[in-house]
Amino acid sequence: MKGSRGKPLVIGAAVVLALALAPAGLSPFLVQFLINLFMLAALAESWNIIGGFTGYASFGNVAFFGIGAYTTGVLLTAAEWPFALALPAGGLLAMAFAGLIGMPILRLKGHYFAIATLGVAETMREIVYNLKITGGGTGLTMPITRSALPFFYLMLGILIAATLVNWWISASRFGYGLIAIREDEDAAAAMGINAALYKTAAFALSGLFAGLTGGVFAYWITFIDPEGVFRVIVTIQMIIMAVFGGMGTVVGPLLGALVLATVSEVLSTQLVSLAELFNGFIVILVVLFMPKGLAEVIRKREFSLRKLARNLREYRV
Amino acid sequence: MLFLQVLINGLLLGGLYGLMALGMSLIWGVMNIVNIAHGALIMLGAYATFWMFTLWGWDPFVSLPATIALLFVYGYCLQRFLLNLVVRAQLFLTLLITFGVEVVMVNLVRIFWSSDLRQVTPGYAGANFSVGGVTVPYVRLWVFMTTVVLSILFLLLLEKTRLGRAIRATSEELRAARLTGIPVAHIYAVTFGLGAALAGAAGGMWGMLFPITPIMGGGLTLKSFVVAVLGGLGTMMGAIVGGLVLGLAESFTSTYIGPTYPNAISFGLLVLILIVKPTGLVGRRG
Repeated sequence: MKGSRGKPLVIGAAVVLALALAPAGLSPFLVQFLINLFMLAALAESWNIIGGFTGYASFGNVAFFGIGAYTTGVLLTAAEWPFALALPAGGLLAMAFAGLIGMPILRLKGHYFAIATLGVAETMREIVYNLKITGGGTGLTMPITRSALPFFYLMLGILIAATLVNWWISASRFGYGLIAIREDEDAAAAMGINAALYKTAAFALSGLFAGLTGGVFAYWITFIDPEGVFRVIVTIQMIIMAVFGGMGTVVGPLLGALVLATVSEVLSTQLVSLAELFNGFIVILVVLFMPKGLAEVIRKREFSLRKLARNLREYRV
Repeated sequence: MLFLQVLINGLLLGGLYGLMALGMSLIWGVMNIVNIAHGALIMLGAYATFWMFTLWGWDPFVSLPATIALLFVYGYCLQRFLLNLVVRAQLFLTLLITFGVEVVMVNLVRIFWSSDLRQVTPGYAGANFSVGGVTVPYVRLWVFMTTVVLSILFLLLLEKTRLGRAIRATSEELRAARLTGIPVAHIYAVTFGLGAALAGAAGGMWGMLFPITPIMGGGLTLKSFVVAVLGGLGTMMGAIVGGLVLGLAESFTSTYIGPTYPNAISFGLLVLILIVKPTGLVGRRG
């Protein structure tokens, strides 16, 4: 048991060390690509807390990303706070918002929860669009920074923190509580788990990391507008990366982000619509052939078509 | 007088919302699929009408049967050859796959037909008449009457025909329906086809009132969902009542509060209904 818990840590530490040293030897283009990859992976890990472990499929996590981006943005520009304060403020506000909105909507289940979260994201976009302090539809422009390196390390740091939290969840009392809620909420409650508290805490944690990521994104990209940071496609990306890699696992979202971000990046150089089209096809194929994700397929060595099609035999009509 | 005008506007728009939600509610009620691609089907219906109008000069009301037929066939194939493969998997997965279908449809349309705003403008588009100080555009009135006719036809199909009975039987109990010899896979596909046809009809008429874009469907999926839940899931009358309620709510709030928060209003209504009366306005128990 000890060996199997120690190995991922060693591999993880080696990867982190390699990544930390990476910018020295990479072209600016690759550094930008890695920042984007870290961001997507961190978002996928943040979604995984509520969607993967707790089993509440949030279709509105982009709301927390957007709140983080706008809070940081407004504090930086209008209030002229230093970034070191504006970023945590963005993360904490997103976390508080997730906790507050979570209290009523986490009482909904299944489809109702999914659409309610979609509604939260749409509503947030509308509110930001109509507020004065956020610059409305014209957006916000941040002060420009010269080097991309701070963003590289910040995104990497958030990604590591998000991954560690997922790892902690996968092997802690709190995490087992979440998994119990996912498997059978009534039974979990009967066992004495305070389901409402656990779910809200998971949602808030998810919001914290999405918010922090949004804050770094705002300063990195230097310009944000409501259409840009509240795009439904950002939520879709979080979900498909987590699902593609494997929901409710620690490495799944990382794996999903790595594969999908790389392919999307290649396709985006041709045409943005093409990359989104690819995302759509991936969603369909994943649901058809590997709903448990890539991590599970690799773990069980199920590479033959016959094994992959087992899912279809089970659920078709 | 303003009050009466706002009331009429709301009802006329609400009819269209009802038609959209009817398709969503049918697919949800029978197969337990929340069809995220519903708005994309509406979008496809709008484009079908647009192209028949632009290329061949077909009047949008005349081409409506063609749009309905096209969308029925499209919906049938989508369910028969794709969604049927995983229809009994967990809710999240069926929802996710329709999400994928939506993304694929929207981006194919974007690539082939561009993101330009389009509009269907027959010669009578701007014409209206006034009764007692209330102005009613002809197009909106005809759209409303068409939605009423289509809704009645659809309800008759579901209640009075052999096919309708088969659909309802499949919805009640899949295994029992199969035992009595109902071809379940076919019935599922027909059901989705009908839902798509209703969405297509709504889209064909939506294009006469509002601009058409590839991404117009996202907000409409949300609205169809809200209306379906508002009225009570799986009840067809509920969808129509819910549509009228949403139309009125939007019309009144945009006049008396402001037009800046249309989605916030639908969403607020949704959460309110879910908390106060989870079975919907005319929903049945359990």
